[in-house]
Amino acid sequence: MIATAMVLLLVLIGLSIPVGAALGVLGLLLDPLFSMLPLTRAIGELAWSSNTEFLLVAIPLFIMLGEILLRAGIAESMYGAMSLWLSWLPGGLMHANIGASTLFAATSGSSVATAATVGTVAIPQIKRYGYNEPLFLGSIAAGGTLGILIPPSINLVIYGVLTNSSVPQLYLAGFIPGFALAALFMLTVIVACLVKPEWGGQRISASWSERFSSLKHLLPPLFIFVMVVGSIYAGLATPTEAAALGVLGALALAAGFRRLTLRMLREAVEGTMRATAMIMLIVIAAGFLNFVMAATGLTESLTSSIGGLGLSPGWMLVVVVVFYVILGCFMETLSMMIVTIPIVTPIMTGLGYDAIWLGIVIVVLVETALITPPVGMNLFVVQSLRKGGSLNAVIVGSLPFVFALFLMVLLLALFPDLALWLPRVMAE
Amino acid sequence: MSASSSTAVLGRLLRSAETLSHVAVWFGGALTLASVFLIGFDVIARKFFGFTTGGADELSGYAFAISTTWALAFVVLQRGNVRVDVLYQHLPVRLAALLDWISLVALAVFMVILTYYASFVAQTSWVQNSAANTPLGTPLWVPQGLWLIGLVWMCLVLTLMLIRASVALVTGDLAAIKALCGVRSSEEEALDEAIAGERLVRGDVA
Repeated sequence: MIATAMVLLLVLIGLSIPVGAALGVLGLLLDPLFSMLPLTRAIGELAWSSNTEFLLVAIPLFIMLGEILLRAGIAESMYGAMSLWLSWLPGGLMHANIGASTLFAATSGSSVATAATVGTVAIPQIKRYGYNEPLFLGSIAAGGTLGILIPPSINLVIYGVLTNSSVPQLYLAGFIPGFALAALFMLTVIVACLVKPEWGGQRISASWSERFSSLKHLLPPLFIFVMVVGSIYAGLATPTEAAALGVLGALALAAGFRRLTLRMLREAVEGTMRATAMIMLIVIAAGFLNFVMAATGLTESLTSSIGGLGLSPGWMLVVVVVFYVILGCFMETLSMMIVTIPIVTPIMTGLGYDAIWLGIVIVVLVETALITPPVGMNLFVVQSLRKGGSLNAVIVGSLPFVFALFLMVLLLALFPDLALWLPRVMAE
Repeated sequence: MSASSSTAVLGRLLRSAETLSHVAVWFGGALTLASVFLIGFDVIARKFFGFTTGGADELSGYAFAISTTWALAFVVLQRGNVRVDVLYQHLPVRLAALLDWISLVALAVFMVILTYYASFVAQTSWVQNSAANTPLGTPLWVPQGLWLIGLVWMCLVLTLMLIRASVALVTGDLAAIKALCGVRSSEEEALDEAIAGERLVRGDVA
């Protein structure tokens, strides 16, 4: 039964059938093959209930928040402020890339958008200050991945829904690893530029008065962050409600910067609905497939046969890491999460791992997938921004940051409290 | 009717479908924005005025469902569904075109079955006059009917695309298949993101 299902899935995906349709068709095939009851009849009810789930309403709202904020015109001045504060470090503006990404990540739930925005502002500076091009590009691609780890994060909402874990707790758990990872990225740049000082470009100097007067440019993203994340932990709002508040805040900012036009709103809405429908088709199909798998006993036989391998929890974690790294080289990340999490999480929690902690580990692995070739969305985004040159430069430049990401996974494995301390403290 | 005039008719139909799908997306977007205001008002009223509108979560759930299905056709027309192209990109053009067609068939099969059973959901609510188990007591056939319309529209658009793709497959018009339902490579996708990002930062000056 497991073998049949696996082969079917691989064939469907290998035929390049859209992921949502592949999962749905697999469910339709498994039903008559292995079930006594006609499970497919439930598909209408299943689709309706997952499509009206209030927690999932957070998905379009967070996407819309990002779409509006991107168009509100705050990116350039924010990057400028970051560069005044961070560019004295060895590696100069590369720290501004990571810093601006971190701040952007704290307002947006998407990694690709973060890389596209910061990259647009940053890339013209490479030639101007004589930076090592690959490393500079790598810092943008890698910095962008922080978007899905630092709250708010769309990926963590989906993980929360799929595994029935609390999204506010997942967000809390994402904070320290998110900022630690940003620090690791900066450390990577510093080490590289200490070894090869010529990579670091010309020094940019800034006076303290310039620095302090630039702080006002950091207020808009901070305002959104406080509104969204603050309202969750003040007990004011659920994640979905916080997302709605964030959209209102972003609309206010866009109006304040005189960017709120009908055309801008229309574009933002189109981008939002396109991404939402694409994601929800996969979510609905995966929900149906999971239902069929559970009802036919496939889920249980799969987990018990993997459990029957007798791997220790430590080795199982290694297997999961390798699995995601390999899969992440080929698959779009959100579909990868939706497909694998319903299988991986029960196995890992059965071995005693914490579901919240696991969510953070998986998101860090998904970040890795975004910058590993041949399919790495952030690599492609950065490459398209520079118009010309070889993609290899971006790949090579991202490599040191891939090691930083692996180091983060190792740190999370050795010190689970990096993720779990904050949720625990806040619960008291 | 000759083959060329029938493809011309199909092309016109597809373009009208595209326009209509576009409008449907704006409608869905307007619903989503309405949810934003409703939820936002609910949170503020609850905190500062100590009352709740009640039903913001329920109504925004309906808005979410309706806006999702109303945007499905737009996504497929824009070739926006995620496909894994690890093998696809190494295949000769003919085979790739065949896979494009198979993908469209698979998507259509899934959507038609989903729509068929979804119609029972709405139909049952209509016949039994079921109301939501909430203070609002919404008659469920209303949101479910609107949700179903999006699904039916998606099926119609898929049928149209499938006819067009089949004609192209038979006549060997590989370029038409690629334009209609080929894989948007990750690179293509990323280029769009990058262009969008650039335009956003530079602002709507142009």
